[in-house]
Amino acid sequence: MKIRTAVLTAAKRGHTHLPLQTMIDREGYPQTALALQLRELIDAGIERVGIVVAPGQAPIFREAVSGLGARIDFIEQPEARGFGDAVRRARDFVNGEAFLLAVGDHLFISTNPDKNCARQLLERAAASETAMAAVQATHESEIGLYGTIGGVLEDRERGLFRVRHMVEKPTPTQAEVELLVPGLRSGHYLCFFGLHVLPARIFDLLDAADDGNGPVGLTPALERLAQEETFHAFEIEGRRYNLEARHGLLLAQLALALNSRHREEILEHLVRLLAKA
Amino acid sequence: MAVSTSPPHPFVELIVSTCPEVRDRSLFVLCQDLADDAILAGCEALEGFWQDTPNLYERVRALTFLSALHRYVLPARGLTERFGRIPAEAHGALMRRRFREAIRAFREAEGDARRNDTLASGLSRSYARQGLQYLADQVRQSVRSVPGNQWMFRMGHADDYPLRLRPELRPADGAETPVLRESTAVRMDLSHSSWSDIFFLAMDRPEFARVLNVSINLALHGSGERPKPPVEAYFRLIDRPVIRLVSVDLGAETEVRSLGQLFDFGADYLGLLKAAVIASGLVPPGLEGAPIGLEQVLERFLGPGWGFELISNVNNIPKGSRLAVSTNLLASLIAVCMRVSGQAPLLEGPLDEPSRRLVAARAILGEWLGGSGGGWQDSGGVWPGIKLIEGCTAQEGDPEWGVSRGRLLPRHTVLDRSDVPATARQALEKSLVLVHGGMAQNVGPILEMVTEKYLLRAEAEWQARRASLAATSDILEALRAGDIRRLGALTTAHFFGPLQTIIPWANNAFTARLVESVREALGEAFWGFWMLGGMSGGGMGFIVEPSAREQSKDIIARLLLQTKERYQESLPFAMDPVIYDFSINENGSTADWVSSGGLPSAYYRLRLPGIVRKPAAQMRRDEADDLRAIARRFGQQALPQAADLSILTALLPEGDAGSKDDGGSVSLARLLEENGFDPAQHETIRGRLRAGKIGLAQNRLPPTTLIEDVSDADLRPPMSEAAAKRLGEAALAEGSVGVVTLAAGAGSRWTQGAGVVKALHPFAEFAGRHRNFLEVHLGKSRRRARAAGVRIPHFITVSHLTGEPIRRWLDRGDVIADESVCPVISRGCSIGLRFVPTERDLRFAWEEMPQEELDEQAQKMRASGRRALLEWARAAGEASDYRDNLPGQCLHPVGHWYEVPNMLLNGTLHRILQEQPSLRTLLIHNIDTLGADVDPVFLGYHLGGGSAATFEVISRRVEDHGGGLARVDGRVRLVEGLALPTEADEFKLRFYNTLSTWLDIDAYLDSLGLGRGSLGDEGAVRTAVREAAARMPTYLTIKDVKKRWGRGQEDVFPVMQFERLWGDISALPDFPVRFLQVSRWRGQQLKDPAQLDSWLRDGSHAYVESLADFA
Repeated sequence: MKIRTAVLTAAKRGHTHLPLQTMIDREGYPQTALALQLRELIDAGIERVGIVVAPGQAPIFREAVSGLGARIDFIEQPEARGFGDAVRRARDFVNGEAFLLAVGDHLFISTNPDKNCARQLLERAAASETAMAAVQATHESEIGLYGTIGGVLEDRERGLFRVRHMVEKPTPTQAEVELLVPGLRSGHYLCFFGLHVLPARIFDLLDAADDGNGPVGLTPALERLAQEETFHAFEIEGRRYNLEARHGLLLAQLALALNSRHREEILEHLVRLLAKA
Repeated sequence: MAVSTSPPHPFVELIVSTCPEVRDRSLFVLCQDLADDAILAGCEALEGFWQDTPNLYERVRALTFLSALHRYVLPARGLTERFGRIPAEAHGALMRRRFREAIRAFREAEGDARRNDTLASGLSRSYARQGLQYLADQVRQSVRSVPGNQWMFRMGHADDYPLRLRPELRPADGAETPVLRESTAVRMDLSHSSWSDIFFLAMDRPEFARVLNVSINLALHGSGERPKPPVEAYFRLIDRPVIRLVSVDLGAETEVRSLGQLFDFGADYLGLLKAAVIASGLVPPGLEGAPIGLEQVLERFLGPGWGFELISNVNNIPKGSRLAVSTNLLASLIAVCMRVSGQAPLLEGPLDEPSRRLVAARAILGEWLGGSGGGWQDSGGVWPGIKLIEGCTAQEGDPEWGVSRGRLLPRHTVLDRSDVPATARQALEKSLVLVHGGMAQNVGPILEMVTEKYLLRAEAEWQARRASLAATSDILEALRAGDIRRLGALTTAHFFGPLQTIIPWANNAFTARLVESVREALGEAFWGFWMLGGMSGGGMGFIVEPSAREQSKDIIARLLLQTKERYQESLPFAMDPVIYDFSINENGSTADWVSSGGLPSAYYRLRLPGIVRKPAAQMRRDEADDLRAIARRFGQQALPQAADLSILTALLPEGDAGSKDDGGSVSLARLLEENGFDPAQHETIRGRLRAGKIGLAQNRLPPTTLIEDVSDADLRPPMSEAAAKRLGEAALAEGSVGVVTLAAGAGSRWTQGAGVVKALHPFAEFAGRHRNFLEVHLGKSRRRARAAGVRIPHFITVSHLTGEPIRRWLDRGDVIADESVCPVISRGCSIGLRFVPTERDLRFAWEEMPQEELDEQAQKMRASGRRALLEWARAAGEASDYRDNLPGQCLHPVGHWYEVPNMLLNGTLHRILQEQPSLRTLLIHNIDTLGADVDPVFLGYHLGGGSAATFEVISRRVEDHGGGLARVDGRVRLVEGLALPTEADEFKLRFYNTLSTWLDIDAYLDSLGLGRGSLGDEGAVRTAVREAAARMPTYLTIKDVKKRWGRGQEDVFPVMQFERLWGDISALPDFPVRFLQVSRWRGQQLKDPAQLDSWLRDGSHAYVESLADFA
């Protein structure tokens, strides 16, 4: 299963400035957050990326991603009807193939020296030939921000779980009852990383989840998918940084810098800052 | 190496056997076939077993066996003839709940602990407490381990806080803040489960735990209201970072500003709401003691600057209804908190099933936090309609797996209309009359008795338990068939059969008489009786023929009131009985949005005075919302309703409302005057108390006093038993003996200060019906008098509190008056007015005097409550008069030393001596010394010894506190526990004072400077008594008194009083006294209802019954 297509969602109203924020990449060059996100996908072997944006945003974004070496299309989401609705706008772009879905307000930083986060997921999904969500063990105080899965270890393979159940932004109360996963530290759950390998059938499930009222979520469709076919969760060697969170951009930049060749220099600055504080 | 394969001792086999026939055999039956040595060997085997076995329930059963063996079996076999001292170390460990240490200390005490009655009593108690502690710890552990609860205990900092308020709770621009209301049913237990809903039982034997539980709406009959969910909880956001808690029904409110304040449960009446905030996870229990501010937590939950208000409301349901009101209120509060924080996914309407289970688990947690506890079916009101609740076997993966056979939480199967058709539900509604009998009782001791009996598998009780389980199935079948008449017959048979076989104390004289009279009054229309909850007297049901139901309600209401009036001075009633209208609640706990002004009227009544006194500019958003709501309520009505008008009345100064009268103070003044109150003495005591010259610390003898145990020679009878008997019988036949029953006190420990007359408490059945203490004492005198063919005058000393009720009881003719026994009332001639205690004395009582620590949370509650009581004492005025209660509760008898002098002052003794000049000796005894009796042997010893008074003492057991017989600076005398120089002195003493005294009337009069001839000289008597009183030590004591308020609510206040005590006459220099050791059955005192069951089982009841003649 070779995945060549990716969908990146950046249609959240009121947050259009985030993908355009300038950050310093691992080499020390300024890049927009969006360009960093696209670089992640392209470096993982993605050839086509469809970016879902709010109406009228395509020209601004197009300028920010020029010269990246992949085919990039922009897809508009006419109304703000939720993350699931944003995804299903890419149905035609995906054109019946399995695809990689990435959320646009996250930055992924791999701790695997050889593979970035997207590549880790794509390779694992290709090996098992199943739909797969990248996940990260997350402390219970933060699970209210993410989709969270419950499942069992798959054939005792490290980091691979068969998904039994998933809940969008659960409380620890619900998570403890429904989403306990063996092998994790106490008070930690497997939350979505922001990267999924999905079959094109997800679009039908998204349509089915739309009752015509209110927002359409991705998680109910994924839950349905997990009931109908094998759906795996894969624990990525890396961390996701939510740019939307308070200090999210700052933390993402710090993480990026500390994973770059400028690590020593940044550390030195940090120590000075701490000493003054 | 060969491994020993010898079979376990039969006692251990009883515990470990996988064969039900063996495992469920009675320990007592097994003992019948074993020799003494085998039983002692079995004790050793159990000792090793409980310490080694990893299985919790095996451990607990072994401990319960050991406790029963030491309490019942070894003494009954005469193996514990020796007695001795309580080791101080062991006693200290018991007090501090270090039960393992106590067991070790008792076992390591000098001699063989299993053959020493004193030590065996200590061991028995220690084993029992250790067992119960294991069970409590296990329930606590299970509550914490329930999935969904665990995270709350991990949280230690605001940064880890995970909950967020649902956006629907936030006010839209310019709009009022939305209020979410949770309405919850209460539950009634249709089957009664033989208490199988006690967690311990259900977790050990889940297949036995099975109840039919119905959610109901209620209204007070006659109120004109339709039945509705009786408990409500309201939640709304407020614009300041505090937690505002309001209990509408208790009229209490507070703003919580710190974590410390929130975790301080006993500080006010809002403990239940605090427990709900914590157990719901809004402020998780893991944050207790965290070094952060409440504001930080609220900021994470609600955003900067926001707080919330939580309101509880109980619609006219009194406390003690046995309908699990407080558990369901707690569940209601938790449910609304879980909804607003997204822990329960549905914001409106009924809860989903997973949420119900979580709410139930959290309610158990909340009850534990609040230091209370209910059964696992109690939160049944959260579920809809009729449901079967059953224990569940623990499965692999459950937190209970490998620890207990059952899970903590039961399974709820809601019975739908295909199972129990609508016609059956309607039939139940049309036949059942629900009542609250008005009694307030502590059901805790009953639950401990049930647990012990369950673990021992005593034969009759075990059969009853099996019958009870079958009865649940029969009741369910009758309900399914809509055969309510049969259902009534089943619940009646269940109550009078299995339930009372297991716990006789489930019934009481009030209930027995009530059922009898209702049955008689309704005739064919009476279909059955049914007890709710742990014991009868509170919530109860009558099942009647449907067409007669409305008429029956009036009849039952009348009979309830009549029966209550008959017993209100002898049994603790918190309120007048009430009748409920009810309907089955088919929704369970449900939430809805409250429209503007939709909070209860009583809430606005509570709030309005505070709001209107504020300048408009300082008014908060919620306060402005409330004011607008009140204005709208009035604006919408042409004629405001009474409930709304009462909101305005709240603005009037106290006293203007026309509800207060001064009847209480008038009656207090009259009582003081009539009962010999001495204002000069009162002021002297107050002055000395305030100056610190007297007080609890000053009760003690000087530290240099030498306290030693007496020798056996000090108790040696003066003659042989046969000679004594001859002498005693001759004296009896001469008509020279009278009896004095001390009945002036209220028996504070008996009803925790409820102020009823202990002497009239019909505490147990004798000769086929409930009889009170006094009736038993008169019965004993009657038997002796008839046997001797003489008349025995039986003096009953009374006080302001007990006099009239006892007189009325005697007049009613319940007790047979004949020639043989002649009850003579001796009126109290001295009275005291209680004081508000000083902080110094309260601290001394709580910090310096020995007292048993409570379980972890209960101890915290106690500490918190005590802080509040210190505040109360300071605010009310230390050593000021205690007048803020019913008059009878403000007065106190001034100690039993006065009782015999009162017989002189009021002329009673003079009169009887004139009628019966042969009278020479009095047997004086306490109301609760049930075995005291005019036994010719002891009378003979007294007469043969030639002393002025002979005191009866018993060998000490662990429960005997409060001094005893001692050699004090070389003189053998009785000494009160509060007078001993140090706490440790009591542990030197082997003998405990029963207070039973044989008194030579002439010698006593002589000691006062009086004689038979001068008894008619009132002035001489008065002077003699005053001078004698001045020679007696005065003790300051602290007693608990209850103050009742609201609907069945009770507060307990510690108040100070002074006392002079009878035992101190043994220390008078010119008054020769002797001491006799008597058997425990003869000398023991029944102080606490928790003693009743063991008193019944160890032969004491049969012994007392054999002494009395009731016919």
